[in-house]
Amino acid sequence: MSELDPTAIARLADTIRLRALRMVAPHGFGYLGQALSSAEIFATLYGCHYRPERDDIVISPGHYIISAFAAAPELELLDERELSSYGFDDSQLEAIGTERSPSVDLTGGSLGMGLSGAVGFALANRLLGRHQARVFALLSDGELEEGQVWEAAMFAAHNRLSSLTVLLDANDSQVDGPVSSITTLEPIAAKWEAFGWFARDVDGHDVSAIDGALSQALEAPQPGVVICRTSTRQGLSVLPAEADGHFITLSPELTAAAAAELEARLA
Amino acid sequence: MHSAPYATVLKPYGRALLALAREREEILCLSGDLTRQTEIDLFASELPQRFIHAGMAEANMLSMAGALARRGFQPFVHTFGVFATRRPLDQIVNSVAYPNLPVRIVGFMPGVSSPGGPSHQAIEDVALMRAIPNMTVVDLADATQISTALPVIAELPGPVYLRLKRGEIPVIFEDGHEFTLNRAELLIDGGDVALVANGMMLAAALAAAATLTAAGVSAAVLNVPVIKPLDSATIAALAGRVRAIVTAENHTIVGGLGSAVAETLAEAGIGCRLARIGLRDTFAQGARTAPPLFRRYGLRSQDIVDAAWSLSGRSGESPRVPETDVTEGEYAPV
Repeated sequence: MSELDPTAIARLADTIRLRALRMVAPHGFGYLGQALSSAEIFATLYGCHYRPERDDIVISPGHYIISAFAAAPELELLDERELSSYGFDDSQLEAIGTERSPSVDLTGGSLGMGLSGAVGFALANRLLGRHQARVFALLSDGELEEGQVWEAAMFAAHNRLSSLTVLLDANDSQVDGPVSSITTLEPIAAKWEAFGWFARDVDGHDVSAIDGALSQALEAPQPGVVICRTSTRQGLSVLPAEADGHFITLSPELTAAAAAELEARLA
Repeated sequence: MHSAPYATVLKPYGRALLALAREREEILCLSGDLTRQTEIDLFASELPQRFIHAGMAEANMLSMAGALARRGFQPFVHTFGVFATRRPLDQIVNSVAYPNLPVRIVGFMPGVSSPGGPSHQAIEDVALMRAIPNMTVVDLADATQISTALPVIAELPGPVYLRLKRGEIPVIFEDGHEFTLNRAELLIDGGDVALVANGMMLAAALAAAATLTAAGVSAAVLNVPVIKPLDSATIAALAGRVRAIVTAENHTIVGGLGSAVAETLAEAGIGCRLARIGLRDTFAQGARTAPPLFRRYGLRSQDIVDAAWSLSGRSGESPRVPETDVTEGEYAPV
């Protein structure tokens, strides 16, 4: 684990946003909202905790692969130049994660399966005696509607898979609108605690808060979850209020204004 | 080959898996809360460190098995066929089959062999599994072949669905009977009709063939334990030299062995008459034991004889399959 430099990690989050914007821009639409909401989560994880040679990383909702790709150059998992192929035909960098997606251990487009995969990795590490290995799983709040997530949560707690940590992007966004308008997930932390997990609920755009909760979760004797409260519009004040968090449409003018905003902050 | 009534044995699969696991350390045994019923209590007590109880949570079990396979393990996943295929279908597709991982999905209690109703009767599991790319689908008929098939299955780099009878397992084949993944087995040759069967219907096909041949209709019996990939060449060659084919499966006639054979005949341009014995696109009711269901839904040896008799152009009443006296611990088809 690296010492947290909040300024540097916040800058990395904006770098992830800018890369994601450039990945989506040629198509005029895409999963930018997911990158905006999860930028601080990925920056903290990739900047301070995740070690690819030792750990496993699971991106459960394949739509979030944009964030993993945008963060990957930090750990030399991808060449930054490759990002420009994102979403194009025959590119390995498909817009919804598949078996071909580089730089992660597991992802997929059928939601709610990733935690089970992460549980499998944690179990494999235990069987193989790899006691230093960590398993990180990025989940979205919408996925909590899938029953399989709770099957996996019960299994992980019963089997005391303490090497497993979930980062939950609670951005209150799913295809049909705000998650909270469709299914009441609250109280999210209490649900995980009731299932036997260590849970912390934090501002998902505050890198120090994420880092602190993540560090505690890693030390806990049971599996841990950090619930990160986020917004799909975070970091881009130029986005109109009606922008669809799940699948944003970007005009050339909006793209230029967004890039200018991020570049100015990173200058 | 032995003849009916067949001797039966208990837990041939459980013993075969344990023997294989002693040699292959990468084998893991996963249970979906039917440990004794799927014969893996033997594994649980002898190799507890490699036994994983997933609980009654099939979706998690299958996705977890996929991840374990990614890390070099060979998970054998156990529950009843209904629960192994219906509930976790998306997980089988995305977590196991698409990444082409060596997960072995073992589904017990096929077709109408269960006293439970439709919730417990795996009547479309073969159709579901056969439709998934990368999946190998195997339906075994006897205890000997279970023990010879398991080491062969363990060599496959991709996923397998293995369909097994629960409880007393007949011994049809002699010791040392070979199992291959790429060849259907012509057990009996004959020139008039060919009976193409697998799993629990193999014994019925053998009984039907004896009755037909004694009545002057020369009947071949082809055992097709591997439904996918199908040995189409053997089926086409056989179809080219008989007047009719009767398929027999303990499964719906939609999408299983009968469909696979029909596809083979059509694509080979063979104009051979075909009858499919199996559940005729219907759910079945429950019953205390399986034989009444085999009678009610047309899965008897006699039903195979009647179909073959009719298709081979014989007039008059079909010959009767004699009743086989069965004492306790023996097995004869209905």
